[in-house]
Amino acid sequence: MQLDLTDDQSLFHQTTLRFIETELPLDQTRSLHDDPQGYTRSWLRKSGEIGWFAMLVPEAYGGGSVSGTGLLDAVIVSEELGRTMQPGPFIPMNIVASALASGGSDAMRSDVLPQIIAGEEVATWAHADGRGNWDDGSSLALERSGSGLRLSGTRGFVQDAVSADWLLVVATTDDGPVQALVRADDPGVHVRPLTCLDLSRRLADVDFDGVQVSPDAILDTAGSDLLEAQLLLAAVLVCADTVGAIDALLAMTVAYAKDRIAFGRPIGSFQALKHVLADQALYLETCKAGAVAAAKAVATGADNAPEIVSMVAAYIGDVSNELAQECLQVHGGIGYTWEHDLHLFLRRVRSNAVLYGEPTWHRERVCAFHDRSDGALR
Amino acid sequence: MSEASVDLDQYRATARRWLDANVARRDERAELRSAHEISADQLAQDRALQRVMYEAGYVGIVVPVQYGGLGLSRRHLQVWREESAGYAVPAPGGIASHVTLGIVLPTILAHANETQKREWIPKMLSAEEIWVQLLSEPGAGSDLAGLLTRATADGDAWVLNGTKIWSSGALSADYGICLARTDWNAPKHRGLTMFKVPLRDERVSVRPVREINGSAEFCEEFLDDVIVTDDMVIGEVNAGWPIANAMLAIERSGVAGQIDVAGDGSSQRSLAPDLVELASDHGTLGDKGVRQLIARAHINDYMQGQLAKRVSMAIMAGTANPSLASYIKLGLGLVQPQRAALAMDIAGRSAIAWSASDGGGNAASLNFLNGRIMSIAGGSNQIQRNIISERILGLPREPSVDSDKPFRVVLREAKSWGSKS
Repeated sequence: MQLDLTDDQSLFHQTTLRFIETELPLDQTRSLHDDPQGYTRSWLRKSGEIGWFAMLVPEAYGGGSVSGTGLLDAVIVSEELGRTMQPGPFIPMNIVASALASGGSDAMRSDVLPQIIAGEEVATWAHADGRGNWDDGSSLALERSGSGLRLSGTRGFVQDAVSADWLLVVATTDDGPVQALVRADDPGVHVRPLTCLDLSRRLADVDFDGVQVSPDAILDTAGSDLLEAQLLLAAVLVCADTVGAIDALLAMTVAYAKDRIAFGRPIGSFQALKHVLADQALYLETCKAGAVAAAKAVATGADNAPEIVSMVAAYIGDVSNELAQECLQVHGGIGYTWEHDLHLFLRRVRSNAVLYGEPTWHRERVCAFHDRSDGALR
Repeated sequence: MSEASVDLDQYRATARRWLDANVARRDERAELRSAHEISADQLAQDRALQRVMYEAGYVGIVVPVQYGGLGLSRRHLQVWREESAGYAVPAPGGIASHVTLGIVLPTILAHANETQKREWIPKMLSAEEIWVQLLSEPGAGSDLAGLLTRATADGDAWVLNGTKIWSSGALSADYGICLARTDWNAPKHRGLTMFKVPLRDERVSVRPVREINGSAEFCEEFLDDVIVTDDMVIGEVNAGWPIANAMLAIERSGVAGQIDVAGDGSSQRSLAPDLVELASDHGTLGDKGVRQLIARAHINDYMQGQLAKRVSMAIMAGTANPSLASYIKLGLGLVQPQRAALAMDIAGRSAIAWSASDGGGNAASLNFLNGRIMSIAGGSNQIQRNIISERILGLPREPSVDSDKPFRVVLREAKSWGSKS
């Protein structure tokens, strides 16, 4: 996806490819589809060993990345995860790790963070309301209760809550949004698994029924800046995952169009299909360009990074689904079978387009940035 | 600081001083003239200024010295472009000047013989000769190799007859680089020859083509027994097709070369200003649906910019498949009609009728009429899709019914297409 990998990044990329090929190649991911957790802890620990959860954490806290720009390295991994339908909490683990490094207490940094980085403990991010919308925590209240605090409400569509040890929840107080790190097995935390379109992921609603929280569990956040930073990271990583998935999907479809014979010719020799595939190739190339631009904007702290991320997320969200549909169309009947891998990708990219803001939401956000900056849309 | 950068800095300073002393600042309104609106006086004045510029060493910066250029690096050219951007650098034939220097000259440089290059290129640089492309015909656009303009040998000369169209700025031009059929018994791609053809010749008539928007950017040329000598043949007889193909590739990569690869997308920092203004005129800026439309246009503009940047960088790095340029072209060909349609949706009824004081609906309707320019001109969307699918994705070519037969036979058989033989 990126044109200019450093030597170290290329090596890291190779390590990632080898790990996936050895541990969980695409054709073996199906064995986990009926598993309630969707992945195994031993696999997660091994992925921790090769650095999958360290990239967004500074070295001072036990993290580190090959290029020194962790987000770009994480994008390399995320793309391969999408390409090979890897399960597991890669994005939420990295978001929580990054949040703890930026705003966690000393205790979180010394006790929890190393466990996450090592893949020993699973942490996920509960950022959305019961309908999966970004609500700055408003559907989960954090209130005073005696000497401590109490969480009441719901978080929706929480990835891998079923297998998590830790939940980083977004809640509101009278002073605005805050984030609290709570144990998933704390009394009053109820995880309700959902049936998922994407067979490679596990989502759940989580109810907080007066969950007692120590003041030490609150992250030090200046307003909602940290929250916004986490959203950008998550959106960049999920875009990369989608790019990997549609790259694989289009390659698979082009190969099929060359092999499949009908009317005495490979079907890929008919302009009716060639032109569809050329359009999809254009969209894929544009998605790649956008995903790299968004990653670089966030990595370099560009002042318009939030807008770039929303533009790219809206575009990739829409276009990836169109691309997946057209790939199904080119495959015809075989693509409609359970045995064919096509639907795994179709499910994943559709799910990706929703997890960290739907295209419509990102487009409205793009307008809102301009409302604020120059009043153009008021 | 390296020697090279000192050299470039000095070059920049000298160029800046020269521009300031010799060339006026840009007037964008004057640049909007279409070619047929350029008066003879204006043309002469602009030619004179280009000649001054040429003699000062600012035309043909990367062209080899033996052909009248400066033989400097592309970085010098880039410095010159940056410094001259704000100045009214002359383009004597309007778009035709850009065609002459940007498309025809590199083609001549690559395919003409030594004598031709030494004689013709300095005249292009000094604006003594303005050239246009005579390629498309009323009956040959996407299928350029199916063209019907004929060149018949007559002793050591050639007689040309036919009609050419879509040549930009031909009314101001002196010559055309013209693809004509020289062998009707050869397969279509192997019977074509490239010629230099005089346009200011009594046997050539040039007329503007009035387009659907009412203006006239392009011309049509009628060649009626135009005689050119043998030394006007560019390359070998019947070997014109590869030259035409190379010229089209130069045209496409020219689009890629104009992309600001170092830019940060700052040109897109305001939100589709034309659409915001349109919605503002209609009081629909607060409408959720309209906001979605505006955001879509803004995002498509941004993504197209990022695509162009990515592809241009890959092509400039030299290792990429040159057909990648078709992504930029197809992208524009898809985005622009969509954008024009979006604007019409926002404008509503004001884009079907407007008063003199209401500019928004008028502009939207003009874009609506112009929306298909990039999806047709310079290789239609369908042609780009063929290039992408065959040369990038490696899909099989369509079976051809016309590339191996004598072209004469192809024409005859096409007339009875579909009827049982």
